[in-house]
Amino acid sequence: MAKSKSKLKNALLRQLGKDPVRDKQRKISRRQPKTSKRKETDGDGVVVNGADKDVEGWEDEDEDENEDENEDEAPELVDAARKASKKSAKVAVTEEEDDDDDEEEEEDEEEEGVELEEKEEEKEEDDEESDIAFSDIDGDDLEAPDTLPYQKLTINNHSALTQALERIALPLSSLPFVEHQSLTTDVPVEIRDVDDDLSRELAFYKQALDAANLGRKKLAKDGMPFARPTDYFAEMLKDDEHMGTIKQKLLDEAANKKAAAEARRQRDLKKFGKQVQFAKLEERNKAKKDTLEKIQVLKRKRQGTDTDFTNEADMFDVALDDAAAPGGRRDKKDRDPSGRSKAKRQKKDQKYGHGGKKRFSKSGDAASSSDLTGFSARKNKTTFSGTKKKRPGKSKRAGTR
Amino acid sequence: MASVYKSISKTISKDIKDDDGIKRNKQRVLVLTSRGVTYRHRHLLKDVVAMLPHSRKDAKLDTKSKLYHLNEIADLYNCNNVLFFEARKRQDLYMWMSKAPNGPCIKLHVQNLHTMEELNFTGNALKGSRPILSFDAAFDQTPAMTLIKEVLLHIFGVPKGARKSKPFVDHVLSFTIADGKIWFRNYQISEAEPTKKVDDDIEKSMSLKSKKPTEQTELSLVEIGPRFVMTPIIILEGSFGGPVIYENKEFVSPNAVRTDLRNRRAQKYNSRTEEQQRLEIKRKELGLEVGKAKGELDESVLFA
Repeated sequence: MAKSKSKLKNALLRQLGKDPVRDKQRKISRRQPKTSKRKETDGDGVVVNGADKDVEGWEDEDEDENEDENEDEAPELVDAARKASKKSAKVAVTEEEDDDDDEEEEEDEEEEGVELEEKEEEKEEDDEESDIAFSDIDGDDLEAPDTLPYQKLTINNHSALTQALERIALPLSSLPFVEHQSLTTDVPVEIRDVDDDLSRELAFYKQALDAANLGRKKLAKDGMPFARPTDYFAEMLKDDEHMGTIKQKLLDEAANKKAAAEARRQRDLKKFGKQVQFAKLEERNKAKKDTLEKIQVLKRKRQGTDTDFTNEADMFDVALDDAAAPGGRRDKKDRDPSGRSKAKRQKKDQKYGHGGKKRFSKSGDAASSSDLTGFSARKNKTTFSGTKKKRPGKSKRAGTR
Repeated sequence: MASVYKSISKTISKDIKDDDGIKRNKQRVLVLTSRGVTYRHRHLLKDVVAMLPHSRKDAKLDTKSKLYHLNEIADLYNCNNVLFFEARKRQDLYMWMSKAPNGPCIKLHVQNLHTMEELNFTGNALKGSRPILSFDAAFDQTPAMTLIKEVLLHIFGVPKGARKSKPFVDHVLSFTIADGKIWFRNYQISEAEPTKKVDDDIEKSMSLKSKKPTEQTELSLVEIGPRFVMTPIIILEGSFGGPVIYENKEFVSPNAVRTDLRNRRAQKYNSRTEEQQRLEIKRKELGLEVGKAKGELDESVLFA
């Protein structure tokens, strides 16, 4: 095909006085109509878009008849190819396209005068479509400038399609609904963003639900059964085993979710648990101390050694006493020289071991050096038990002898 | 003799018969795959066969080039529809829908395929119950899509009284056009008593106005699966043959997509190596050669 075409073209070009040396350009032009090797379609009722059609048209028809057209066209083709090689084929291709359409119409006029009006209508539609396709291609080219722009030639043979449809179509209008059970929506389903799963699935769901409702109504009108009775058991699309796995999966999912929630709760609890525990212990200790104090007071009362002070405290409201106790009355004995309370020290001892700080515990400080409780002058004069007594001088020894 | 009778009687179109003046929708579908399908494609086939009680499953077809043999196989099984799954390169699935003896033939590319088994939807339906087919109105906008809709109706619609079909309707098959593709969904119709506490009064008024027994239950849908998306590629006038009467210009073959991807990756590598070479040349020009032996007076040698 391609070879004969190029020969033809060469001959034509020679006739026109053009140089057939431009091999590269022709190569590019041959590369452009990619679909030229496609099967030739039927002569009547076939509408082929784009530049390929007229190339094939040359072969089919006598050259003498169409020579005028060809003369007009051949330089165009070469021009288009050259422009395409410069990657600015947009304008050229569109011009070409327009020319082609005109020619096609002319040919049709020559060949068939009967179906002319119909054809023209179809062609107009086709032209519109091909225009849209052009814009698409342009957009793509803008995105990827490296790709060679070529028009994808497509076939959309409306008359053949409708003919095929007529041949196989069920007479839906005369068939009762029960026979086919098909419904078409009144308006096209609009999905704004196909990539948005949720909205897309919702649109599908709505379409199906509407169909289900309408179908039930129609079947009810015909008196046909719709719902399966509850005691009707039969093989299902998914067998019990499969449904079991699905059920198990759902259960597992729910369990996982629950476990995750529990784990999170535990984590949070752990975060605050220490504080809570501490507060609880504190409270318990406080309650213990209070009861002990009360017992002490009672004991003293019994012994009769209770002072005015305790009497007075008894006479007042106990709650007031309790409230005032931690803040106000505090003996100086309770406090450490360092300023911290004994209770805290005790607490810490309990927690970390009761010795407290071991470091420097044996080294003396101001208090220990000034502490003379363990000092006795007599003991201070005694020698250490380990040391030998000094031998007295010679004269003394001589004197004692 | 029987075969002669068969061939003669077959000339009468079998789709619609006038028995006792009642028009009938008679369809039988031959379902099969090519060789080289993956497990997923096989599972889809299993699902489709389970959904279509009027289908006849056949062994895998050996050839991918001589598809016209399918017409004979369909004839053998008395099928007037063929649903043929063709797998290429063990990854791309094409679906051929054909009206067997001489009807049109549609080739579609199947994408986003999820079978019933892997989807784990809770919906379920009777095996062989007749579905309600729901089509998008966008199917009627172009002649090609109208034709596709008709063929889908023949293949996926279970004809009344088909063998092994059940007389109840409990699922909907929906075909929607979005993004130039046909999206397939399968839903179970579940009927539930309407919520009584919320709109008791409304219901009372409704029941007073219209006492229809069918209106009492509320319909809701639960998806069953499978899911897939089909892109029409071409329509042939004959069955697995004949002239092309439609071609989708928006269709990009998966091979082209992959090539593009590979080229883009190659470009990345090429540009990187080019850059490296340029850098090397530049270094040489400036006398800064890399990997040159260290001289005696090199700083790192002197002050080591």
